[in-house]
Amino acid sequence: MPLLNVLLTAAPAAASSASNYFPIGLQLLFAIGFVATMMVGTHLLGPKRRTGDKLENFASGIESHGDARQPMAIKYFLVAILFVLFDVEVIFFYPYAVNFRGLGWSGFWSVLMFVGFFAVGFFYIIKKGALQWED
Amino acid sequence: MNAIILSAIWGVVLMFCSVLIKNKGVYRHIAALGLLVILAGNIHETYHGSFFNIDTHEMLRFSRFGLFFNTILLAATLLYVLLSGRDVEKAGGYVAEYFTLIFFVLCGASILTSFNTLLMLFIGIEILSIPLYILTGSDKRNLRSNEAALKYFLMGAFSTGILLMGIALVYGGTGSFMLEVPRSAIMGGYKGVSFLEVTGLLFLLVAMSFKVSAAPFHFWTPDVYDGAPSVFTSFMATIVKAAAFAAFLKLFEARVGDTSAAVDWKLLLSIIIVSTLLIGNVTAVFQQSVKRMLAYSSIAQAGFMLFAVFSLNDVAKEGLLLYATAYSLATIGVFAVLIKMKDVTFEGFNGLARKNPVLAATTTICLLSLAGIPLTAGFFAKFSMLSAVIKTGTYTWLVVVAVLFAAVSAYYYFRVIQAMYFKEGDAQTEEVTGGFKVLLIAVAALVILFGVQPQALLNWFYF
Amino acid sequence: MSNLVFLVPLFPLLGFLINGLFRKSLSKPMIGVIGCGALLASFVVSAILFGNVAAANRLHPGQPIPATVLFDFINVSSFKIQFAFLADQLSCLFLLIITGIGFLIHLYSTSYMHEEPTEHYGRYFAYLNLFVFSMLLLVLGANYLVMFIGWEGVGLCSYLLIGFWFKNDNYNYAAKKAFVMNRIGDLGFLLAMFWLLAKLGTVDYNQVFAKTALLSKTDITAITLLFFVGAAGKSAQIPLYTWLPDAMAGPTPVSALIHAATMVTAGIYMIARSNVLYSLAECTQHVIAIIGLATALFAATIAIKQNDIKKVLAYSTVSQLGYMFLGLGVGAYTGAVFHVMTHAFFKALLFLGAGSVIHAMHHEQDIRNMGGLKKYLPKTHLTFLLGCLAIAGIPPFSGFFSKDEILAAAYAHSPIYWGIGVATAALTAFYMFRLYATTFLGNFRGTHDQQHHLHESPAAMTIPLMVLALLSVSGGFAGVPEVLGGDHQLHGWLSGVITSEKTHHLEHSTEYLLMGVSVALAVLASVFAISRYSKKPELQEATGLGKVLQNKWYIDELYDAVIVKPLLKLADVLKNVVEKSGIDGIVNGVGKFVHYSSRQLRLLQSGLVGSYILVIVLSIVVLFLVFWNQSIILQFVQKIF
Repeated sequence: MPLLNVLLTAAPAAASSASNYFPIGLQLLFAIGFVATMMVGTHLLGPKRRTGDKLENFASGIESHGDARQPMAIKYFLVAILFVLFDVEVIFFYPYAVNFRGLGWSGFWSVLMFVGFFAVGFFYIIKKGALQWED
Repeated sequence: MNAIILSAIWGVVLMFCSVLIKNKGVYRHIAALGLLVILAGNIHETYHGSFFNIDTHEMLRFSRFGLFFNTILLAATLLYVLLSGRDVEKAGGYVAEYFTLIFFVLCGASILTSFNTLLMLFIGIEILSIPLYILTGSDKRNLRSNEAALKYFLMGAFSTGILLMGIALVYGGTGSFMLEVPRSAIMGGYKGVSFLEVTGLLFLLVAMSFKVSAAPFHFWTPDVYDGAPSVFTSFMATIVKAAAFAAFLKLFEARVGDTSAAVDWKLLLSIIIVSTLLIGNVTAVFQQSVKRMLAYSSIAQAGFMLFAVFSLNDVAKEGLLLYATAYSLATIGVFAVLIKMKDVTFEGFNGLARKNPVLAATTTICLLSLAGIPLTAGFFAKFSMLSAVIKTGTYTWLVVVAVLFAAVSAYYYFRVIQAMYFKEGDAQTEEVTGGFKVLLIAVAALVILFGVQPQALLNWFYF
Repeated sequence: MSNLVFLVPLFPLLGFLINGLFRKSLSKPMIGVIGCGALLASFVVSAILFGNVAAANRLHPGQPIPATVLFDFINVSSFKIQFAFLADQLSCLFLLIITGIGFLIHLYSTSYMHEEPTEHYGRYFAYLNLFVFSMLLLVLGANYLVMFIGWEGVGLCSYLLIGFWFKNDNYNYAAKKAFVMNRIGDLGFLLAMFWLLAKLGTVDYNQVFAKTALLSKTDITAITLLFFVGAAGKSAQIPLYTWLPDAMAGPTPVSALIHAATMVTAGIYMIARSNVLYSLAECTQHVIAIIGLATALFAATIAIKQNDIKKVLAYSTVSQLGYMFLGLGVGAYTGAVFHVMTHAFFKALLFLGAGSVIHAMHHEQDIRNMGGLKKYLPKTHLTFLLGCLAIAGIPPFSGFFSKDEILAAAYAHSPIYWGIGVATAALTAFYMFRLYATTFLGNFRGTHDQQHHLHESPAAMTIPLMVLALLSVSGGFAGVPEVLGGDHQLHGWLSGVITSEKTHHLEHSTEYLLMGVSVALAVLASVFAISRYSKKPELQEATGLGKVLQNKWYIDELYDAVIVKPLLKLADVLKNVVEKSGIDGIVNGVGKFVHYSSRQLRLLQSGLVGSYILVIVLSIVVLFLVFWNQSIILQFVQKIF
């Protein structure tokens, strides 16, 4: 796309110019276009029957009542976020397990340090009582 | 390296102190001790090398400038803890954690003074920012503190997005995250400055401007500084801002300096500088609260520090060191007094000189330094910034604008002095100890020392 | 030995500091001892210096005396001014006059000012010492800058001492007048100095005089004229003379020291010092001669009708200064300096005598209320008479020789100058003896109470009178002209400094004739005055020309109407119109504008995160647009500017 480079003094060289991205762009366009076309198409073509029952939220057949936006105990969030935190970090074990032999002792010490940090954090949250459910 | 690792470790240590030690008064002593240890480690590294020998694959590079900047930041933090440590205890219930977060911020700051890839820049900025979001909201029962924290977080997240976008584009343009990429080594053999790279740098400029609260990306600053507990505002306005500037300068020196042959950044930067000076100084005039005035003044001071990024020469680097020191010293001093005030509006300062002459006198010296009156450190700081601009040879009108706005700044700084000395009133302060006064006098003495002998600081930098 | 020179001004400075700082704790005798002691010490050092110079003069005649550099005063790249003292023949002569007469007057003051409270007594002596210090700087300086420092210093002290009794508004007004008039002159001095610096890059006497060839005719004329403006201010010449009579508001010894013997002769000193420059500027010399002559005549006419004893002496001083300028103008520099010296003796004597009279009369200064004081104040009377004889130019008293020298030089220049000069001399003799006769002869006309208290002054006052009387009588023998069988020692003494003296050769017969005429006129006038005023002094209000003279030709009123009033009007306009609505308007307007924009800019901070982010995004877009189009923007900006 030489037009965009007009202001730059150096002329674009062919090798790494933006034109290399052309196929990607094309694919992107195609993807968006396809999705859009399909959505608009179904919307226009599909039959519509608006009844009260159909507009109800479907909750496995149980009748819904009240608003979902209600105050909830912060503990749920706390536990959830801690779970996410540790859960995500555990993911590092998978690549380590795969490369266990190749990384050797240095890899072992590194992971041990990593686990150590973990343990420290875990110790801290337990000591702070973050996981204590009952007040 | 010492500073990064030691401050992270000391943060963890303090974290556990909260579990193990119940006496809240001890934490600040531990923090001060830790700062001394880190400071010693950092100075040791400056002259003799690091305690730790870790191969960072050139992702961090410890230059003299960065290490010296660390020293300044650590010394400023030490001063801050000594002056205002007692007030940290009053900010909320989790005293040790606040200190922990301060240490984590320092860890991020030390990364920002030594990063060598854009990834480390990103990590540094995040490590720096996230603790600040929490510190801002530390006064949990106070709605304004909560609001400030949320605003800070939202807008910080937004700017992080821009930062990442910029990093991605720069990577796209050059094929490398490294700070200094030889033109010949750019992926694909493209020797010029590509559109992607320049756009990426523009985004980086915007993100960094956000972090240093340059206009028009400053909007978070007044609300956050005003809403956060004063004691943390003091920290954010000084040490954090100085660290962000170090990163800004480092980034631009390498990346923008590299492209400046092809692209002229000066116009854009001058627009940002002028609007920062304008908004910071002019808006500060109308404020009724000294705290909020100081928030705007910190924007105005950022405008001055941006001259270092603007001129990108040796004078600018020295100037930034001087400016960071002068500004941090003076602001920590003023905030230390402000925290002790019962009423932080201008009226609250009425008649302080009669009630507590030491506080009034030291505050006056600090304010004079902020205004850039000769014989204070602020004068030489401003002077070296302006001479850096003059040295670039272009855009000398910026100097005129800067001086004009410095004149405006004198107005609102002198309002405080006027309130303290020339207005009748009954300024209410909390109890201040003798040690606090001695420290304040030491701050004022340093301000004057660096104002008379700015070389004292710079000589240290070179030897 | 020449290093002693710094001691000369040091003593009075120390005296000033001690008396000034500890005036509340020192006793009166102590203050007097310190004040007089400083001067005496200074006088001794001056005498030693004088001896040194004399010795050097004998050993190496014609060799210039080197300056003593104390330190570099201003040293900026090539621009360098040293703080240096030059104690040569001219300076040494003035040193002796200043410290010698200064000491006598200090001594006199210890008694005269004795009624003052201790604190003010100390203040008085501190000021007096400071004055002497400044005056010594003035004459000792080896360049115009040091001279200027002294020049300003004496102006300041004069101001302080005229307004010494600051509780009287009129005195303060007189002090202000003196200061302002002097400042006008100082401006001329400064400009001349700047001119010299601009053209020659130096204000050092030796260098300036050596480099005169580099100056164009215009330069020299302008510089000398500007210096003369300074001299006219300090030495009370037309048109800047009106401050001197008013300066009589100060204590009488001050009038004697500052406004008769020393400070007012600074202008003569300066021009004599710069004689090399002046002799190159013919035009300026004419101006000086004419102004000097006019001042001499003009002041003499006024003096005839004054009834305040000090005012008469003041106008007489102005008139005598006019004489000196006449001498300078016709190139008789030595004559002028000679007259400075003799005038210092007899005018100090006359003032101190007047002070003694005033002291005896309990601060009565109007001569119409005196008379017949001869028998009450014998010592004062005798010395005063000697002073009158000296100033009237009766041989062999000192005034005769110096005045005669100037008149002879004037005659050589133009007989008209001589004619006016002699007329003035006759007037001088007339008003002096009118004063003498009205004061000392006839019957006492004061109140009974005053008569009861009439007494001769104490020794501290009469001794200086006697010493000065002796000097007034004999001082003239330092310059006995050739024609009377003398060898004019002063002339030889000053020849090293005053190198451009205009020599004139008059026939001896002509000189005898000139002397004869002037002496005869003076004697006649004196006798006439004594006979007219000793029996029935004029007590009623003057009318006609007399009234005009009594009111000093209405010059003060003229200045008031022509200069002061319009200036005040202008100041009024500037204050009320330009200052209030113009400058204040601009200043306040800027402040208001900043305040206003502050109020508006503050509104940007709405507190809503959404709007913040919107503004940020918009700014990013704008910045990007600016960035990518900056070449167009810059071109546009360049087109505008």
